[in-house]
Amino acid sequence: MHQSRFTRTLRTIAGWLVVGAFFFPIYFWTSVAFRDAKEIFNWPPIIFDFHPTVRNFEQVFGISLGFSFGNQEAVTPGGGNFYMGPRLWDSIVVASLSTVLAIVVATLASYALSRMNFRGRHEFVNWVLSTRMMPPVAVAIPMFFIFKQFSLLDTYLGVILIHGLMNLPLAVLLLKSFFDDIPAEIDESALLDGASRWTIFRRIVLPMAKGGIAATAVLCFIFSWTEFLFVLTLTQTGLKTVPVVSSTFVTSIGTAWGNMAALGAAAIVPAFITILLVQRHLVRGLTMGSLKQ
Amino acid sequence: MSVAQVKRIAISDSPWPWLAPLIALLIVFTIYPLIYNVWLSFHEFVPRKRTLAFVGFDNWVQLWNDTRFWGALGVTFLYFVIALTVELVLGMAVALLLDAELPGFGALRAILSMTLVIPPAIAGMMFLLMQDPQFGVLSYFLNQLGILDKSTPILATSSLALIGVLLAEIWQWTPFMVLIFMAGLRSLPTEPYEAAMIDGASSFQMFRRLTLPMMSKVIAVAILLRGIDLFRVFDYVFVMTSGGPGTSTYTLSLYAWQQTFSFLKWGYGATLSLTSLVIIMVLANLFIRVAKVRW
Amino acid sequence: MKEKDRKFYLANITDRFVRGQMDRRSFLGAAGKLGLGATALGMGMGSRPFVMNKALAQEQMQPSAEVISWLKEVGKPFAGTTLKLATESTPPSNAINSQLKKYFEEATGIKVEIEVLPLEQVLQKLTLDVASSLGTYDLYYIDQSWAASFSQDVFDPREQIEAKPDLAMPNYNIDDFMPALVDGISKYEDRWVGVPYDIPIFIMIYRKDIYEKLGLKAPTTFEELYTNSATISKEMGPNMFGYAGQMKSGHYALECEWTSMLWGHGGSIFNADKQFSGNDEQGLAALDYYTKLKAIMPPGVDQWTWDGQGQAIAQGVAASMLSWGEFFPYFDDPTQTKVSGLCEAVIPPQPISLRMPDQCGYGEIPGVGHQGGSSLAVSKYSKAPDAAWIFMQWATCADTQALITTLGGGTGPTRTSVYDDPRVKANARVGAGTTRHLPVVRETIDKYMGSEPDLPEWAQISSDTIPVALGKYFAGSGGSAKETMDGIAQQVGEILKG
Repeated sequence: MHQSRFTRTLRTIAGWLVVGAFFFPIYFWTSVAFRDAKEIFNWPPIIFDFHPTVRNFEQVFGISLGFSFGNQEAVTPGGGNFYMGPRLWDSIVVASLSTVLAIVVATLASYALSRMNFRGRHEFVNWVLSTRMMPPVAVAIPMFFIFKQFSLLDTYLGVILIHGLMNLPLAVLLLKSFFDDIPAEIDESALLDGASRWTIFRRIVLPMAKGGIAATAVLCFIFSWTEFLFVLTLTQTGLKTVPVVSSTFVTSIGTAWGNMAALGAAAIVPAFITILLVQRHLVRGLTMGSLKQ
Repeated sequence: MSVAQVKRIAISDSPWPWLAPLIALLIVFTIYPLIYNVWLSFHEFVPRKRTLAFVGFDNWVQLWNDTRFWGALGVTFLYFVIALTVELVLGMAVALLLDAELPGFGALRAILSMTLVIPPAIAGMMFLLMQDPQFGVLSYFLNQLGILDKSTPILATSSLALIGVLLAEIWQWTPFMVLIFMAGLRSLPTEPYEAAMIDGASSFQMFRRLTLPMMSKVIAVAILLRGIDLFRVFDYVFVMTSGGPGTSTYTLSLYAWQQTFSFLKWGYGATLSLTSLVIIMVLANLFIRVAKVRW
Repeated sequence: MKEKDRKFYLANITDRFVRGQMDRRSFLGAAGKLGLGATALGMGMGSRPFVMNKALAQEQMQPSAEVISWLKEVGKPFAGTTLKLATESTPPSNAINSQLKKYFEEATGIKVEIEVLPLEQVLQKLTLDVASSLGTYDLYYIDQSWAASFSQDVFDPREQIEAKPDLAMPNYNIDDFMPALVDGISKYEDRWVGVPYDIPIFIMIYRKDIYEKLGLKAPTTFEELYTNSATISKEMGPNMFGYAGQMKSGHYALECEWTSMLWGHGGSIFNADKQFSGNDEQGLAALDYYTKLKAIMPPGVDQWTWDGQGQAIAQGVAASMLSWGEFFPYFDDPTQTKVSGLCEAVIPPQPISLRMPDQCGYGEIPGVGHQGGSSLAVSKYSKAPDAAWIFMQWATCADTQALITTLGGGTGPTRTSVYDDPRVKANARVGAGTTRHLPVVRETIDKYMGSEPDLPEWAQISSDTIPVALGKYFAGSGGSAKETMDGIAQQVGEILKG
């Protein structure tokens, strides 16, 4: 569409302002990670003019100024042990593998839901969607007993399973609409040539829906990355993800705001890198997929 | 093979092998917890004896007479309606704004999605700090702009607390809407717009008569996905206000959480969760029907 | 120089160095004379107090040889066992987890895994564990308010000592635990539900410099606390306030502070008939006082738990608080606060009158020094109860407690002897992790401690019913003080009935 230079300039400025407003809390939180407590609590609050310190990061990731890793005995006044390095790794493992699980199961199912007409399909999709409606509190306790039964408590496998499961409805819904947008005629002509469903799925449909799958994967990754209650209930000391350990900073002698911010800020990075890596696919994928009628 | 034969094969193809893994996993995840919760809602945990005692319909009767529950339901609806409306409108506006190739807009779209990767509990803590009446940067801005008196703590004033919590909610989830709407916008065909331009339609007219109708399914999916989560969201309230002051931000999911986790009333917690599940299901099905969504 | 003096001197110069009163070179010189090299002081890693603590830890703060040799001997058969403990994030647990457990693990070959969580999540984990008799945790961290609920699920330590003489630690001396704490925290009916493990307790903390400037004396009564605070708010306002509270609606913190005021006015939560009695004459007087005091607190106290309250003192917004003594060592940390060395601790204000425990219900013990202690106990469902018992003795013995108190930053010990330990006393100087408030803590425990009632429904009453109603009242939407208290009485009645 044609726009005057003036409108374009105005729009550019507006865009920057709006995103700036959304970005401000992230900036502020990240800056808190680089402060000592006495620069966090002030009136008027300090926004830019603070004395940066990396102490919070040293405590959380066990990296001292001399870049010697694994200095996890470092103790804050009050005796806190805030060494969280390995927990970031736990988060990455859980989020990536549970995403893979959800995507594999959901692509298979969505393909069938998109291409095969069967009675009750509409109701079936509704049912899949409804599995997301159960409050997590109500799922966590029965899951605890199942997990105990199958020795899945406190294991990577267990958490990966539950996060994968949790993301299935979202993944199925999104992937189905992406597949819907790939013309069914392609499948039919391939069937005419004698190709099997599986071949069509693998060789034709999957590559075409690559972008949509990437987009769905990002959302699955994010939901696993930020999930709290299942990890809390189903783990003990073996592994923990970032949202759960961040509550460790709320101690009986107050909240370690700087350390919490340090973990929070650091935890943005891996997830954000994932987004960036798939961003090109994201736009293209969603464009193709489009969810439209 | 003729086309008719192909169609027949395609129709006679069984979807079940494809769906089997999904169904198997979902049964574990949903059917068992559902049965368990229904069973649990007729029982109550007795802390002294460590057992679940059968209590019949007590929990359900209690629910009906529980003013706390009805209050929480009201707050949840209010939260749900305001958050969904604002996120939809704001999300659409921002998506329309950013849907252009202007300097740096690619980066802006990526930056916007950063809010999504922050765990909601941490986002709640962020906004708690920013809204602190003595130290908070947001309180300071509002104070300087003359909008808010320094002696008015946002999160401890009955009339403002919900707004304070919604700020975090809307900040975090509007970008989710933007992401989905942007995808929808980019897939719209250009021909109708060109025709409309020739007819001299204004941008608002084009938005109303072309964009909105063509985006209806995208909007429906966005409403469903976010709406379901909104009804269950509790992190912000839990972290920022504990449902207060009094019960002015006390939501249904916070109630279910507290009953289950803090007071060990597993039976009543299950009853609350089931109620919440039923309400979401009814709402969602109603919506699917009214919006004429066919999967 | 004697060992004790040497430690004291070191603590002193370390402090001056940290506070910038001494340059690095003369500090190192002075330390060198004590026989400590730069590496021992961790100078290669910066000049922060916690590194100091670590260096000190390596140099001197090690478990006594006696304890280690006992561990080596008694732990031998259990090498390879793994123990699990879920605990709140408190100074003792953190100190053990981060610094001390390695000594235990090295000596015994027993591995210890500690899961650190916010308090209510600990409750949830324990409940799931006992509800299914799973034995996933070998040791339980039991908050004083849960003693009733878990009394049947853990071993009584006195029985353990008798039943397993070969595993008993020499000089463990179970009578060393302060009797008030045993009664208030660990004892339920006749059983010991573990031993007292940590003891956060309300003491009076105030800004000495401000009090002196205005010619005020440390408050000894509630009336003085109010008049002093009002004077400060008036004279030094609007950015300085006399008192900061912890008044977040719906949060346990609000209940804690209210209870302290209630007890201080001669009231109690339950009367002898086990009825809620916050709505009697004394109860209403307490709430009136609390309301009056709130008026001179910073706007926003109703958004704070003890965290915001502590920050208000630490960052120089308020001049006093009646709150957890565990905060005190933090206030002295010059890197984190603006008030290092300016705060002073005294015993809580004297009550106007005090109700006797036999006039209260459910084991409630009125006293202005509200305590929030907890016990450590071995689970009956543990698959390695003997190894767990060894760990528990080690974690709560006098030597370990002295180390926790010194390294863990001035937390209150639960044993009488530890208050007199030279290592603990040497740390009584201004600086992060100070122990200079501990004499006050000790006196408060001995004479002025208040304990909440003990009943399974207490979790709900204390963290929901009471603070929600009070929150409503302070937000101005809960009616009068009388209506609020009557409302609580009615709700508590319903909870106890159902």
